[in-house]
This record gives sequence, structure tokens and C-alpha cells, in this order.
Amino acid sequence: MENNLSISNYRFSENKKALEPLLWIGLVSIIMFFAGLTSAVIVSSTNASWKMFSLPNTFLYSTIAIILSSLTYQIGFMLVKKNNVIVPKLLFITTLILGLAFIYFQYIGLSNLYQQGVYATGSQSSNSSSFFYVLTVLHVVHLLFGIISLGVVSTKSMMNKYNRDNFLGIKLSLTYWHFLGLLWLYLFFFLTNMMSN
Amino acid sequence: MANSAIAHQESFISKYIFSRDHKMIAKQFMITGFTMGFIGIVMSVLFRLQLGWPGEKFWINDLLLGSWANGGVIAPDKYLALVTMHGTIMVFFMLTAGLSGTFSNLLIPLQIGARDMASGFINMLSYWIFFVSCIVMLVSLGVEGGAASAGWTIYPPLSALPEAIPGSGLGMTLWLVAMALFITSSLIGSLNYIVTIINLRTKGMNFMRLPLTIWSFLVTAILGVLSFPVLLSAVLLLVFDRSFGTSFYLSDIYIAGQALERFGGSPILFQHLFWFLGHPEVYIVLLPSLGITSEIVSTMSRKPIFGYKFMIGSILAIGGLSFIVWGHHMFVTGMNPFLGAVFTITTLLIAIPSAIKVFNYLTTLWRGNIIFSPAMLFSIGLISTFITGGLTGLILGDATLDINVHDTYFVVGHFHIVMGLSAVFGTFAGVYHWFPKMFGKMMNNTWGQIHFWITIVTAYGVFFPMHFLGLAGVPRRYYTNSTFPMFDDFVNLNEIISMFAIVAFIGQFIFIFNFLYSIYKGKKATQNPWNSNTLEWTTPVEHIHGNWPGEIPEVHRWPYDYNKPGYEEFIPQNIPLKEGETQSSH
Amino acid sequence: MLLLSAFAFILILFLITFIYLKGSDFKEMFKENPDDLKFDEQENKIQGWLFVAFGVGFLLFILFLIFKWGGSLLPKAASVHGTEVDSLMLLTGIIIGIVFLVTHVLLFALVYKYAYNKNRKPTFFTHNLKLELLWTAIPALVLVLLISIGLYNWNSIMKPLDDKEDKVLIEIYAKQFDWTARYAGKDGKLGRASVFLIKGNNFLGIDTTDVVSFDDKIIKNEFHLPVNKPVQFVFRSQDVIHSAYMPHFRAQMNCVPGLKTQFNFTPKYTTQEMRRITKNPDFDYVLLCNKICGMAHFAMKMKIVVESQEDYDKWLASNPTFK
Repeated sequence: MENNLSISNYRFSENKKALEPLLWIGLVSIIMFFAGLTSAVIVSSTNASWKMFSLPNTFLYSTIAIILSSLTYQIGFMLVKKNNVIVPKLLFITTLILGLAFIYFQYIGLSNLYQQGVYATGSQSSNSSSFFYVLTVLHVVHLLFGIISLGVVSTKSMMNKYNRDNFLGIKLSLTYWHFLGLLWLYLFFFLTNMMSN
Repeated sequence: MANSAIAHQESFISKYIFSRDHKMIAKQFMITGFTMGFIGIVMSVLFRLQLGWPGEKFWINDLLLGSWANGGVIAPDKYLALVTMHGTIMVFFMLTAGLSGTFSNLLIPLQIGARDMASGFINMLSYWIFFVSCIVMLVSLGVEGGAASAGWTIYPPLSALPEAIPGSGLGMTLWLVAMALFITSSLIGSLNYIVTIINLRTKGMNFMRLPLTIWSFLVTAILGVLSFPVLLSAVLLLVFDRSFGTSFYLSDIYIAGQALERFGGSPILFQHLFWFLGHPEVYIVLLPSLGITSEIVSTMSRKPIFGYKFMIGSILAIGGLSFIVWGHHMFVTGMNPFLGAVFTITTLLIAIPSAIKVFNYLTTLWRGNIIFSPAMLFSIGLISTFITGGLTGLILGDATLDINVHDTYFVVGHFHIVMGLSAVFGTFAGVYHWFPKMFGKMMNNTWGQIHFWITIVTAYGVFFPMHFLGLAGVPRRYYTNSTFPMFDDFVNLNEIISMFAIVAFIGQFIFIFNFLYSIYKGKKATQNPWNSNTLEWTTPVEHIHGNWPGEIPEVHRWPYDYNKPGYEEFIPQNIPLKEGETQSSH
Repeated sequence: MLLLSAFAFILILFLITFIYLKGSDFKEMFKENPDDLKFDEQENKIQGWLFVAFGVGFLLFILFLIFKWGGSLLPKAASVHGTEVDSLMLLTGIIIGIVFLVTHVLLFALVYKYAYNKNRKPTFFTHNLKLELLWTAIPALVLVLLISIGLYNWNSIMKPLDDKEDKVLIEIYAKQFDWTARYAGKDGKLGRASVFLIKGNNFLGIDTTDVVSFDDKIIKNEFHLPVNKPVQFVFRSQDVIHSAYMPHFRAQMNCVPGLKTQFNFTPKYTTQEMRRITKNPDFDYVLLCNKICGMAHFAMKMKIVVESQEDYDKWLASNPTFK
């Protein structure tokens, strides 16, 4: 057991065994964060001034993009575990592009909303639209960390740093990425339900 | 030195400042937390002066508060700023970070038998984010308009609109920034604690052999991970309301001569989100203290803790219940009466695990052989304050009775005794008990005892009479009671409270002196000064990176084998069972 | 200044800690090897005694507080539901008092009795299911009692008054830093209001086109209530959260901007009767603010007068209607 290594062999930097549980519990706290916000949406939606609006299709595109990116990332990861050298590199880059596409579509979607006259703030806005902007933006903020980790994974895989025995980095990034995908799906369905007519 | 096995010699910076060693980080948390606590206490003494002798001039106000005091008298809005900052600093910076940060960091790896935290880097990050947050909070004291003044619960709209009170300008912005940083620090710290406890226990250290301290730290960390993100979401929405013109918490407001273009928000929403954290926060503050004292009461009575499993069960029950009782802070907000009824039931249920804890403490003392080290004195003090404060909770948790004592001094008395004093006593107990582990020296016993007696007498002197004020209907956060003739009878009582507060404050210098003096000149500690069973006392007195010079000890028994019939007076956890010896059933 | 001293203090403590840590290699300075568990028996005895003394002192302190200030607490409830609240408070108080006394006597007695003695061998007593179930069950039973009485009262207190019932309808309007009362007038209804209609004298933002509002009466400084008649309060706030606290009636409700909150009670004693009860000729009922609301939070008050129906009618008639 790693615990019982004698002190001279002990490495003081990080305990790799603990990284995965650290991530998982971190995800729990992110869930609580969004749970707080979405329950705020539920409470606020009972107010008479809660306005419904229609969502542009771009949010559907972004949803498709993030689902696809999860798939490509997962396949890439499985191939790394099979010691495949070339395909994972392509898949990771594809994932990165899909992730960026997701952010792009979100941006376009929000600007479409803005053009429709659905504002985030000001006297013309309703809490429904404010919450919509806030939640999508906060999701993208979390996604940016995922993009950074994807960048690191892609670069490292270009440098052939990963193989059958060394894939912890990908696994962590992948878990986070899947989580963000699921989080978006939840937010998408939730927000559509609460705000869109 | 014993740690010559470690190849690299660390530089001053990496050893003392950006240290990743949990023992050093614990000391950093302690020093920073206590410093913040000291500032918080000074604030309380200043506003106690105003409450005891309203309108009287004090040179100390000019000296310490400068422009906040008007010729020696605190300005009314700055009084609120002091109250707000006192609450914030005490609850979050002193009793959350200073207590949990110190002892979780120090004791988790040492008591479960780990070389260090799961991630030393995250641990270091946690401390330094906390430090920056302290600095931001202190800076907010000096900005234009003064520090945040909306009470530590920062209810909007008061906190959302700078027109409502000067402190809701830049001061509140900095408050929110500091709290966001604090939440981040606290969250990543908690992540680390949980993962460390779950993953890095030494061989043989199963959950039914964990010391109660570790159990309480675990539950505390879980509460933190689940509740702090919700506070973060509440704070974020408030930031949007303040700075970007959204109206999540605002609706139908006319202030400073104009109606605001804000629709559809609800101030009550903030209260729900806030108290969803706020109530677990009470137990984030309290549980580590209960864990620490469970350990100390057992060790110093030379007896196993009574009802180990029930103690764990009650910690878990308190932790679980704390998530479904937040509404009892909102009985008079006009909430649905049915919800009020539900929250009454859940709130009063907390009395059951609390009662179990109290009676288990008492039974542990029964037929013990009590050694009154300062740590033990403070632990007994905690049992007393936990009972006193807990009992008045039965009044506040009952919606019917809460109507008339809500937000009065009754509440102030209640939570200062049950949460403030208990947590502070637990902190002191922990410091006296683990000082030898932290600094390799003993603290002076006699001064510790004097410190305890001054503290408990004055603390009760301050907070017990507040129940009477509350029952007379005196509201909290009043700059002075002199506008209401019905409170005139209590002028003397307020003076008495203030005098107790001043003595209590002065009494703490005994501790500060003892603490600093012992670091330099204290008696050198032996490896296991209290003849305790837990693993931290098997490490060398001199700190080494990695805690144990050789192999990590293996654990063979629970931590409470004191005076086991037929065996030694105490049997540390790493001693294998003797021939024919059975595990103590518990 | 506070800032400066805070920083200075942090700096000093850090310096001291660092200096110590640098200097900890001089550990050879203190070579004695104490056996710290050898506490003086005498010393432990003294601590045991001190706890007993503390317990007695605590009790005397409480008696002193009761003797000196017990009479200055709120007088008996001046509303019908308040009497119920008070009796529940008394019951809870007695239970709390007994538990407080018993546990503290136990605590200090145990601490005194089992103070360190080198000849005593502590009992190895790890658990006892029966005992533990006992002190799970007893609090649970007591709680069932308290909860059921509490909830019964809570539900009856919070129940809004029936529409048909003969009652007084009053809106209490809070703003920084005073109170305003608006009486519903003959039609028994309050006119619409909105913050966007606030202008000049119309600081309640009443809709001047709403017929219902014409007979509303706006009252400052003090408001009157008839005795023995249910009063339905509606609370509004203009700016921040306030809390309307009427301690003598055991009544409190927050005033939240954007919301209308409610509370109702039936006054039981007139101001005159209460002056006799409290033996205080200057006694007055009062409405105060009990939620931090800004600078002058502590000065936000309004006098309440409870009087007979005839006096009340006379007083109400003497006040002008809104329009």
C-alpha cells in the first residue's frame, strides 16, 4: 500500500490516488452550486412578472455539439487505453473544436435572444431572462476550465505522453467534460421548461 | 535531525510561507484565524462600550475608529458596520477557518496515519486564498462609506442598495469579494479533508476506529461542500443585482426619492439561499469543537468515551438535520404557515442528538479520574455552554414562541452561548491540548486555569443576562435603547454586560501571553504528554515532513482503551492486541 | 486607524511565529523531561471545588437577575393569542429550567466527585444500549409534547381572519425610518398602491383613481385599536426589509418590499387597563422595528393606543379620509 511506504520513498507533491475522489467531490459542490441557482429559478418563477420567451435554435446546435464532443472524447480515451497512437490525437482535437463550437453557439444564441428583445438586465428584462443569461454564462465559465484541460490533454497527446499505463490526466479531464455535458443537458431541459413557450 | 532522510532542504519561503506541510498550514490558519478573532473581539468591546454607556465619549474610539467615531462616540451607521464585521469575522474567519482550518489540518493526517493531506498543493492554496480573503475583508474597513453594515446575514435590499445605508457601497462589494474568496478557500479545503479521511487512512484504521475528532471533521467538511456552494450562488445573484441591474432579490422599491425599475424579485429568496448555508454553518462551527472535546474528555477522565457509536450517530444526525431546518430563521417573514410547522418539527428534532451527546459526556465523566488540564477545563465549560445555549434553542425553534423573541437579544444570547462560546471553548481546549504537538512545548498550566475561570465567568456574565433583555423585547442591532422608555430599567444591566465584556477581553491577554511565552520558553514537551491513545502522539516531538520517520504505524484497536481492566493504564492504537485480549466492544 | 492597527497586529504575530520557527533548533535549551500527567492532587481538588463554587455562583447570579430584572420583563400578553403563547412559554421555560438545573448539578457534582485521585481506578464503561435509548426516548417524548402544543398554537395564530368576520383592517407601512398606518375605512377595503405612484404627499403610493382608496385613512405617530375586536394587519415596506414588532401583543411580522405580509390579533386590555396591571402610569403599547434597516433603525417607533369601541370610533372619525 502506498500509505505504508517508508518515508524515504514518499513523494510529497501530490497523492495521485486521491485526485479522482477530489474531482468527484468537487463535482458534488458544483452540483450544489447549480442546485442553489435552479431552485432560485423555481422560487422566482412563481412571481406574476415571470415572462416566457422563445429560445433560438442555436441552443439546440450547441447541445448537439456538446453531446458529440463527449462521444469523441470518450472514444479517444478508450483508444488510448488500447494503445492506439494516431486516432486519439485527432479525436481530442475534434473534441476541442466541438467544445469551442459549443461556446460559439451559446454566444450566438444569447445575442439572438438579445436581438429579440430578451434582455438580461434593465427595466425591459424579466427575472426569467436574467436567470437564463446567468445560468448559461456560469455554465460556460465552468466549461472554460474544461477547455483548458482539453488543451492540456491534446498537447500532451501530441507529445505522445499518454499510453495504456498513463491516462489519469485524460480520465480526470474526461470525467469533468462528461459532467459539464450532463450539466448542460439538465440546464437546457430545465430552462426550456421554466422559461420557453 | 530526524528528517535527514529527506533529501531536499527547503528554503525559508517553501517551508514557512508557501508550505505544503499540513502541520505548518495548520499553524498558519491558527495564527491568521486568531488574529482575525482578536480584531473581532476588539470590535465587540467597542460597540459594547456604546451599548453600556450610550453617547458617552471614549478616547479609545477616536484612537481605533478614527472617522467612524464622532468625537469619541461611534456613529450610528458605523455601529452597524461594527456589528456586521464582528459577526462576519467571528463566524467565518475565526470559528470556521480558524477552528476547522487549524484542527482539521493538524489532526486529520496525524490521527488517521497519513503522511500528509491528499493534496498539499490544494491545501496551501486553501490557506492563501483564505489569507487574501482576510486582507480584502480588512481593507473593506477603510473604504469610503465604511464597511458592510447590513448585518452579517446581509439581507437585501439593505445590502443591495447603496442608497439604503452607506456601508452598502464599496464596503459591501469588498465584503462580497472577500466572502467569495473565503467560500472558495473553504470549499477546496473541505474537498481535501474528505478525500484524505476516506482514502489515506493507515492500515487497520477503519471507520469504527476513527477518533471522534476525525468523525466530526469529516461531517463538518461534508456540510461545507454541500452548503457553501449555495451561499456562493446567493452571493453571485446579489452581485448581479448590485452591479448589473438584475432584480433577483428586488421588487417594488422606492428609495432616495425615486422608484427603482426592478420587478419580480423577492428578498425572501435570498434568505432561503443564505440560510440553506447559514444553518449548516452553525454546525460547521460547532461540530469540530464537539469532536475535540469528546477526545479530551475521554483522555482526561482516563476513561473511554461513553457510547462511541451513539456519539457518531448523533454527529451524523445533527449534520443531516442541519440541512432541513433553515426555515426557522424565517418564521416571521410571512412564509407559508405550513412550512413554518415543518421547520418547527425538524428544528426541535435536533434536540435529540444534542441530548444524547450531553448525557454521553456526563456518563464519560462518571467514575472517571478527571485531570483538570486547561484543555479539560474548557471541555467541561463547553458541556455547560452547550447545555445552556442548546436549551434556549427549544424556545427559538418553536415557531409560536419565536414570534415574540425573534431578532431580540434572546437570540443574541442563545447563539453566542451555544455556538460562539462552545466553539471558542472547543478552540481553546484544542489549542491547550495539542499545543505540545504543534510547537513541541507545553503551555503553562496555572495560567491556563486562570484563563479558563476568567473566560467562563465573564462569558456567562455577558451572554446570560441577554436572555432577560430579549424577554423584555429589546431588539438586537439597536444603536441605543434610550429611544424607548420601556427599556429604561435595563440601563444598569447593559452596563454590567459591558463590564463583563471588557474583563473578558482583558482576560484573553493571559492566553495570548501564555501562548507566545510558551512557544519560546515553555517546558519542552514529551512525545505523549497526556498519555493519549491516538496516533498523533506516536510521531516525534520535532516536526518532520511526512510525520513518521519510519513506517506509518498500523492500527489495531479503537482509540479509547483507557484503563481497560487487566491491561495497561492506556493502550495506544498502534499496539497489537495482547494474547487473549479482545477488542473493546463499543 | 482600525485598519492600520489590524495590519500591524497581523504583521507582528507573523514575525513572532517565524522568528520562533527559525529558532526552534535551540531546543536543547530546555532539557528537563517532565512527566506531565503527574498533576498535583491538591491542584485538581481545588479545580473541583472551583466548579462547585462556580455552579453556586451561577445559580446566585441567575437569582439576582430574576430578582432585580424579572419584574421588568414584558407584562402579561395584551392579546388573546398572546395568552396561549405565554402559557406555552411558561411550560417550555419550566422544562428548560429543570433540565438546566439537573444537568448542571450533575455536571459539577461529577466533576467535583471524580477529580483526580491517584488511588482511583476509573471504570471501563464503553456503552450501554438501555441508557442510551433512555436518553434518546425521554427528550423525544418531551419534544412530542412541546411540538404538538406549539404547532396547534402556530396554526391558529397564523390563520387569516375570515372575510365575513367583523374586524378592523389596517395596513402598516414601513419606510426608512418611520411607520404609517392606513385604515381601510367604511368599505373595509384598502385601495391599490404602487411605488410608482409615490409623489409628494402621497408617500404610500396610493392609486388615487381607485374608488376603494377614497375612504382610507392615513395615520402617523400613533394609531388606535378597539379592545376585544380582531385586527387584521397587512404589512408593506417601501425600501428595505423592516419588521413590525409589537412585543406586548406577542406579535411580529416582517415588512418586505414587493410582498404583502399579514398578521392578526385581538387586543385584550386597553392602554388604561394595562397601566393598572403594570402599575406604571406612563405605560404605552408600542410598535418598533426589529429588522436591521439602516442608520436610524433604533429610533423607528409608533405608539399604539388600545381603547374602548366608543373612544376608538370617536378617534377614527376625527381623522380625515384620503380623498
